[in-house]
Amino acid sequence: MMKKLSIILFSIAGVAVATGCSDIRREPGLIYMPDMAYSRAYETYVVRDTNYFTMDSANPHGKIFYNARPVAGTIMRGEDLTFTLPKDKAGDSTYYVASKQIQNPLTNPGAADLKEGERLYLINCAICHGSKLDGNGPLYKGGQGPFPSAPKNLVSDPYTVNMPPGQMYYSITYGKNLMGPYGSQLDHHQRWMVINYIKSKQAANAPKPASTSNTEPANADAGANANTSSTTSAGTSATK
Amino acid sequence: MNHHSRLGKHIGSVVILFFLFIVGFKANAQNGQSLFAANCASCHQVNKRLVGPALAGVEERGPWTDRKALHAWIHNPAGFMKTDPYTQGLFKEYGGVMMTAFPGLSEKDIDAILDYIKSVPAATAPVPGAATATNPEASGDNTLLFGILTLILAIVSFVLLQVNSNLKRLADDKEGVGGTEPLPFWRNKAYIAFVAVILFLISGYFTVSGAIGLGRSQKYEPVQPIFYSHKVHAGTNQISCLYCHGNTEVGKQANIPSVNICMNCHMGINEYKGPDKLVDGDGKEHDGTAEIQKLYQYAGFEYGKLWDASKAQPIPWVRIHNLPDHVYFNHSQHVKVGKVQCQSCHGEIQNMNEVYQFADLSMGWCINCHRNTQVQFKDNGFYSIYEQYHEKIKNGTLDTTNITVEKIGGTECQKCHY
Repeated sequence: MMKKLSIILFSIAGVAVATGCSDIRREPGLIYMPDMAYSRAYETYVVRDTNYFTMDSANPHGKIFYNARPVAGTIMRGEDLTFTLPKDKAGDSTYYVASKQIQNPLTNPGAADLKEGERLYLINCAICHGSKLDGNGPLYKGGQGPFPSAPKNLVSDPYTVNMPPGQMYYSITYGKNLMGPYGSQLDHHQRWMVINYIKSKQAANAPKPASTSNTEPANADAGANANTSSTTSAGTSATK
Repeated sequence: MNHHSRLGKHIGSVVILFFLFIVGFKANAQNGQSLFAANCASCHQVNKRLVGPALAGVEERGPWTDRKALHAWIHNPAGFMKTDPYTQGLFKEYGGVMMTAFPGLSEKDIDAILDYIKSVPAATAPVPGAATATNPEASGDNTLLFGILTLILAIVSFVLLQVNSNLKRLADDKEGVGGTEPLPFWRNKAYIAFVAVILFLISGYFTVSGAIGLGRSQKYEPVQPIFYSHKVHAGTNQISCLYCHGNTEVGKQANIPSVNICMNCHMGINEYKGPDKLVDGDGKEHDGTAEIQKLYQYAGFEYGKLWDASKAQPIPWVRIHNLPDHVYFNHSQHVKVGKVQCQSCHGEIQNMNEVYQFADLSMGWCINCHRNTQVQFKDNGFYSIYEQYHEKIKNGTLDTTNITVEKIGGTECQKCHY
């Protein structure tokens, strides 16, 4: 009888050990009241019932078309409309060249603007271009990082120092070569703030005259109005 | 004296000349690499196709067997291409991207670069990462040990009790105190009561903890469509949380990055060679390069070709943190206004290979934090209106009988419609 009892007890212990061990929780579990937990309104990142909704506007098959995107042509409140150039088709560079003429609407940035520009730069750009703008961020690390392509040096390379703000804006918005587009991460105002920050750093770095190409002093504050004077750099005529 | 100084000058100039020579020689030897890094590395690698072709063996291809052609091309690619069908073909193959002209590079510089390219060894097959056997389950769980110990003790005490009663019966028999017929233990009321209390306690514990846990998903760790490691991205590679989850500052939701944000870097990075092992919660190791291939499938991207973003499909990431519909939570209010660190609620994300729900997201957890957290009034645009009213009321410029709800933001749409 004792034997029987101990067998029972040990098997109970065994079951307890077996069930208590699975540590990883792959299911979210149950909830009290589903009608209070799940929204009936369209919430972000909630899977829509494919029996009623479709993201295919061409073949709705009697379902409701909804893809959570704004209607084409929607303009955000407070949108800055100074830059309206579309993206170049592959192999074309018309708009890239045209973007040189676009003026920076944020002239004379204040200290707060530059600080915000720096913050945004450190979040979005510094991983490749480096927190010192030297083109050596943690993703490149002088060729040791995972990113295969050398990011541009933003303070001492004449190519970027002489690049007009409008063209920087184009590159940030649509990307260039292996740099991806940042139009979805930075809004228009933020992009200009980042450019102002970069230009201010370039201006601060300017006193040592940049090797050969340009003799104009790039000392205008924040370089906001240096764009028209210095379009004849090595790079502009060459790329594309 | 005079003679001496002249000799000294002589020796000095010889030494300087010698040094100049040495330095110049060394510089020449290193020149190629630094020139390559400064001028070419943005678009070319020696063994890997980037924006432009891989440069290994470039002098065995097309017109480049002639160095003069290479010089001419690098000095003026557009001019060279007009008369050269080989580069016209390349131009088409690489999506119509024209190489940047480098008129500033002398022929000597170019030769140095070419020498450097030759000196780079061919790409080797990736060595399977030197396995540093780490023991993921080092500390183990103490509760299990304690449970087993308790059980053993319970069994021992039970056995001892039985022995005790048997001995007592034997002793009684011997002494002839023919006691009452001993009851078997399952009819013994003391035993029954004891077991009943134990069962009640155990079932009560599980019922209560189950009821509290119902609707909460702490430690929820779903399997994601791509084994994306936050440890590699936010930890080792130091990518800011806000790089991918930028909307966190401006919206209710911390956005899940779209494919184009992944592709910002992964247009270039197509293989994983990092030091971290990609181990999931079950202890299974994943191949980073294969996971990047999964991303390419969603993106409709083929490495080495131009990416057409319109072919991308959204990645069906599994949402981990879910709040019931009757709870309103706004990320921007916490991250931007409250200046709360991501890790306060999400745990050490930068150390997680596979993300799990760190906090239980219960009401008590929210309330506790709200009880203890200081409001960040300083340099905070969100609260400037309070300060302004405070100042105005203090110096009497604001009529306190005339502050409506509207003045403190009561007619903002989002106060009611969120």
